[in-house]
Amino acid sequence: MSLRLNVLNISKSFNGKAILKECSVSFDSGGVHVLMGPNGSGKSTFLRICALLERPDKGEVRYVSESATLEKDISLKRRITLVLPGVGVFNTTVFENVAYGLQMRGVKKKEIEEKTLRVLEFVGLTHKRDHNALVLSSGEIQRLGIARALVIEPEILFLDEPTAYIDQENTEIIEDIILNMKKQGRSTVIITTHYMERGARLADRVLIIQDGQIIDKKSV
Amino acid sequence: MNPILTGFKEALTLIFNLDRELLSIISLSLMVSGTALVLATAAGLPMGAFMGLKKFPFRGVIISLMNTFMGLPPVVVGLFVYLILSRSGPLGFMGLLYSPSAMVIAQCILAFPIVSSLSHAAIVHVAPVIRQASMTLGATPFQVTLNIMREARYGIMSGVIAAFGRVMAEVGAILIVGGNIAGYTRVMTTTIALETDKGNFELAIALGIMLLSLSLLINMFLYVIQKKGMVTIVR
Amino acid sequence: MLFLVLIVPVSAQQLETTSAERIRCASTTSTENSGFFDYILPVFEKKTGIRVDVIAVGTGAAIEIGKRGDADVVFVHAKEQELKAVKEGFFVYRRDVMYNDFVIVGPDNDPAHIKNVQSVSKAFKHIAENSSFFVSRGDKSGTHTKELTIWKIAGIKPRGYTWYLEVGQGMSKTQRIANEKRAYTLTDRGTWLTLKDKDNLEMMIVFEGDPVLFNQYGVMIVNPEKHPHVKYREARKFVDWLVSGEGQKAISSFKDKHGNQLFIPNAYR
Repeated sequence: MSLRLNVLNISKSFNGKAILKECSVSFDSGGVHVLMGPNGSGKSTFLRICALLERPDKGEVRYVSESATLEKDISLKRRITLVLPGVGVFNTTVFENVAYGLQMRGVKKKEIEEKTLRVLEFVGLTHKRDHNALVLSSGEIQRLGIARALVIEPEILFLDEPTAYIDQENTEIIEDIILNMKKQGRSTVIITTHYMERGARLADRVLIIQDGQIIDKKSV
Repeated sequence: MNPILTGFKEALTLIFNLDRELLSIISLSLMVSGTALVLATAAGLPMGAFMGLKKFPFRGVIISLMNTFMGLPPVVVGLFVYLILSRSGPLGFMGLLYSPSAMVIAQCILAFPIVSSLSHAAIVHVAPVIRQASMTLGATPFQVTLNIMREARYGIMSGVIAAFGRVMAEVGAILIVGGNIAGYTRVMTTTIALETDKGNFELAIALGIMLLSLSLLINMFLYVIQKKGMVTIVR
Repeated sequence: MLFLVLIVPVSAQQLETTSAERIRCASTTSTENSGFFDYILPVFEKKTGIRVDVIAVGTGAAIEIGKRGDADVVFVHAKEQELKAVKEGFFVYRRDVMYNDFVIVGPDNDPAHIKNVQSVSKAFKHIAENSSFFVSRGDKSGTHTKELTIWKIAGIKPRGYTWYLEVGQGMSKTQRIANEKRAYTLTDRGTWLTLKDKDNLEMMIVFEGDPVLFNQYGVMIVNPEKHPHVKYREARKFVDWLVSGEGQKAISSFKDKHGNQLFIPNAYR
C-alpha cells in the first residue's frame, strides 16, 4: 500500500503576486525529500497545498495508491500530516498533545498510551509528559510537533522549516530524529528548509524552488 | 449612628444568624441568575462559535450588533419582556409575568450577548492556529470545532462569569418583570431598592455588602481563570 | 431567542414555590412602604389560605397593570380614576376600603407662610407666589393626581417654573428630595409618619385638614370577562374580607412604630 504524490502544474498567487507558477513534481513512496529555497520563495505554500490545507489556483494535487487516484477525503487526509512552522500546540499537557491525533481516530485508550509513550521516548520528551505544552522551549515545541505527527504513523510526513528559529542543540536532535526515521523507512518525509548545507546532509533527494518553479536536483 | 456603620453591624448580625428570609432572597438571586446564565450559555456559546467560525452574510453586522447588545440597558430589556409577557402581550397566555421565570427570561436576554460576544472573541483568538493544527492531525470538521472551543475555554469562561456578574447586579429588568413580590420574586437587588425606599438603610446596606462580597468572589474567580489562561496569549 | 422563551418555563418551574391559591394585587408604593401589607395579608392568608402577592408601583401603573390583565386585584387611592376605569369595563366590584389624608410637609421655618391659611389651594398659591421649591411626584400616582387637582383649583400651572421639581419617584424618595432641597411636598400621612424619624427629615407638617386632602383607598377586581384567567373567586374573597367587620378591624389595628394609626377603615356595603 504505497502512497505516491503527483503535483501537476499548480499555480498560486497571493494579492496578485504569483508565488507558484505551473509547478510539477512527483514523490514516490519512501525516502527523505528536501525542498530548498530562500525565504518567501513559496516553499511553505507548496507544502500546504500538498498537505491539502489549501487549494491551488490552477493545477492539481493527486494522491495515487496502486495506480488509483484517491478522493481527497478525511481518510486520505488521515494518511498524511504536516508539522506547521509554529506547530500550534494545544493548551494542555505534552502527553495530551501527542495523543490528540489518535484520539481523533477513535483509537483505544490503552493503545494510545503505548504509542504516545513510545513516540515521546523517540523525540526525547518523556520527562516532560505531564507539563503544559505551552511552557516548553521552542526547540521542545518543534519536537512535540514532530511527535504529534509521528504518533499517527503517517505515510507522508511534511515538515515545514523544522529547524528554523531553534538552537543548535535542538537542531541536532531534530536532525537525528529525521535520520532515524530515514533508517526506519516507514514514511515518506518531505522537508522544506532554507539551510542549504544542513538540508543536503539529510536528503535522499534535493529539490530547489526558484522563481515559482521546482527544479529536481536528482537523487544524491 | 452613621447608617453605613450600623449597616455593617447589621450585615454581620444577619450573616451570623443565617436569617431565613435573607437566605431565601440570596438563594433566589442565585437561582434566577444561575438559570439565566445556563440558558444564555447554552445559546450564546454556539452563537459565539457560529460567528467566529462560519462565514455568512451580514456576519460583521451581527458581530457588531452583539457587541452593542452587551450594554443593553436592563430597564429597556425589562420593558420589552414585560410587554411580551403581559396578559395583553403576544405571550400573555403563558401567564409568566411577575414570576421567577419572567426574571430568568429577562436576565437571559441580558447575558446572551455577553456570553456570545466574549466567546466569539476567545474563539477568534485561537481559531486560525488551532484549526490548522487539528486538521493536519486528522480531525474531522466537527472535531476541529470542538478542539477550537476547548482551546478557547478560559476566554469563554471569563465571558460566562462576566455575564453572571452583570445579571447578579442588575435591578432594572427584574424589578419590572418580577414585580418584587415578597417571598416570590424578591431578590437581593430589588430588596435593596425597596428597603432604601422604606428608609431601612441598615438592611439595605447589609444586603449591599453581601452583594458586593458575592461580586468580589466572582471577580476573584475570574482573575484566577484569566491568569490560568494567560499562557494562551503567549502562543 | 424564541426557543429560549419556550424552554424557560419548563426549567424555571422548580423555582416557583407551590401554593394552592395565590392572587396578585397591584398596589401603591405608599401602601407597601408603610408596612400595611406585611401586617394585614398574613391575617387574611391565615383565615383563607389564599396568598396575596403584592406588586407595588404608582397608582397609575397599578391601574394600567390591572387593565392589561397582569393582576387580579387593584388596591389604590385615586377614586375618580378608579371609577372611570370601572365605567370603561376594565374592573368590577369596586369597594371603598379605608382612608387617610394628605398633608403638606415643608421646612421648619415655613418660608411661604402657609401654616395658617384657610385652604389647601391657598397654600399652593402662597408657595407659587413665593417661588418656594415644591417637589412633585410627577409619576401619575394617586398622590400626584391629588396634587394636580389642587393646582387646578388654585388656578396655577406650575410646570416649567424653576421652583417646581418633578422627580418621578416614589413617595419616600420624594420626601427625601424635598428634605434635601428645603422644599414643600404633598405626601400621605402614612408615609410621612413612617419615615419622618427613620429618614431624619428636618421638616414638619405645615398644612392639614382641608377636606380636599381626604385620601380614599379603594379595591377592585380585574374584569374576568376581559381577562378570563383572573382568579375572580379568590379575588372576591379578598375584597369581601377587606370590607368585612373583621378586615376593617384589622386595618384599624395596624399601627406604626410610634403607635399612630395610619389608615381609618370606612367601608360600607
